[in-house]
Amino acid sequence: MFPLRRSLILGIVCATVLTCAAQVRVPATVQAGSGTTVQASGSGSTMLYLFGPGGALKREVQRGNIEISGQELKVAGRYTVIVDGDSASFFVTAAPLQKIAFVAHPSRVPAAASRAVQGSAFLFDGFQNLVLTPIPVTFRLAVEGDNGEERRTSSRDGVAWVQLNSGRRSGPAHFVVTSGAIQVRRIVQQVAADPCSIRMSALRAPDGNILVETAPVQDCSGNAVPDGTIVTFTSVDAAGRSAVDARIKRGIARAELPASRSATLSVAAGVVLGNEIHWGGGQ
Amino acid sequence: MIGRIGIRPNFWLFPVSLIVILGLASVSPAGLPGAHVAAARPPVQLSSFDIASAVPRPVEETTALSVQRDYAHAWQSLISALESNRADLLNEDFTGGARQQWAEAISLQQRNRLSRRIEDHGHHVRVTFYSPDGSAMEATDTADFDIQYYEGTRILFSEHVRTRYLVLLTPGENSWKLRILQEVPAS
Repeated sequence: MFPLRRSLILGIVCATVLTCAAQVRVPATVQAGSGTTVQASGSGSTMLYLFGPGGALKREVQRGNIEISGQELKVAGRYTVIVDGDSASFFVTAAPLQKIAFVAHPSRVPAAASRAVQGSAFLFDGFQNLVLTPIPVTFRLAVEGDNGEERRTSSRDGVAWVQLNSGRRSGPAHFVVTSGAIQVRRIVQQVAADPCSIRMSALRAPDGNILVETAPVQDCSGNAVPDGTIVTFTSVDAAGRSAVDARIKRGIARAELPASRSATLSVAAGVVLGNEIHWGGGQ
Repeated sequence: MIGRIGIRPNFWLFPVSLIVILGLASVSPAGLPGAHVAAARPPVQLSSFDIASAVPRPVEETTALSVQRDYAHAWQSLISALESNRADLLNEDFTGGARQQWAEAISLQQRNRLSRRIEDHGHHVRVTFYSPDGSAMEATDTADFDIQYYEGTRILFSEHVRTRYLVLLTPGENSWKLRILQEVPAS
């Protein structure tokens, strides 16, 4: 009799004067986008508050099992539930990988350059949360028809990165990152590196000038140096020095140097020197 | 008549006025929409900023200084925004997903007459990743807060939390911006 009366009195006091704390229970973690159930002890209606990184919710609920929808738990982070002055916290963790943000650098790279191509992959679920559990990630860089280079790694805190050597062949290289079923591709243009060596030949033109012409200019991997690359031909004779800049066209650079009885001809592109020809005194 | 009432010294009103003023002063800032005192708060402090373990690229000293300044400012903005329910305060320091999610949180707070007052007790930041091209920086931040949750002027709940964030920053035109601010369980 007495306990019942005491409960009744307490109930009336709770209802009229005080806010009696309900015990709130929540799971420790919830996957983003999945709903969960909050347990609030007692019965009757009350107000539930939910504060999180992606929202703030206020709802009249019935004590007991209170459903929170997945739509309200999309953003990863800590959520605090408050019911009748009592609170509990839980973490929303990222859902499975859905999207990779892939940053490749640079977009144009010389062939056969050491650790010249870098890629950073940021792993996201479908709600823009970083997926923090380590996930195997594969990076691959290859020009079509070439083996290329592949590197397997594991993400850490939602990020995976790689530094790769560029391939020996020039051309558009496919830089691909793969994790599970998700694949993202970038194109890195591999271009010939500096010329490896330049071979030049010389002929006398009908007007007496000296026609100079290179053999196809290639880098050390055998890639044709891009058209437009400047090659400098120089002639030094008793009258002085003459230099002509010519652009490589279809892999070959040509120029016409002033006529001379005896001259030393040389060729260079950037820091690479080619052969020398002693003109007039026997080549 | 009106003039006389205005000039006449009503001494009995002074204690009442004093009580009203003191009462208003003690009301939480959350109770005064739009009149929050975040600006009067001390600036957010980074207790430590460790760049020693950044890979694959080391963080230059000048970059570290900029990031520290901008990251602390971003927290200042977020705290003010959550307290005053003004998402526009995020525009300067937040971008991408972080700006979107916190703006949504603020919008829902406003709709439900809720707010959060955060007292910041410092951050320990450790940069873990700095991309080779300098376009992204990831860090972990262990922070201490006192958080008060409000409905109107009523405090719903207060708590002290020591929490860990995963942070992704990207350079903007003039400053580093917070792109991801994801709270994670303490490891």
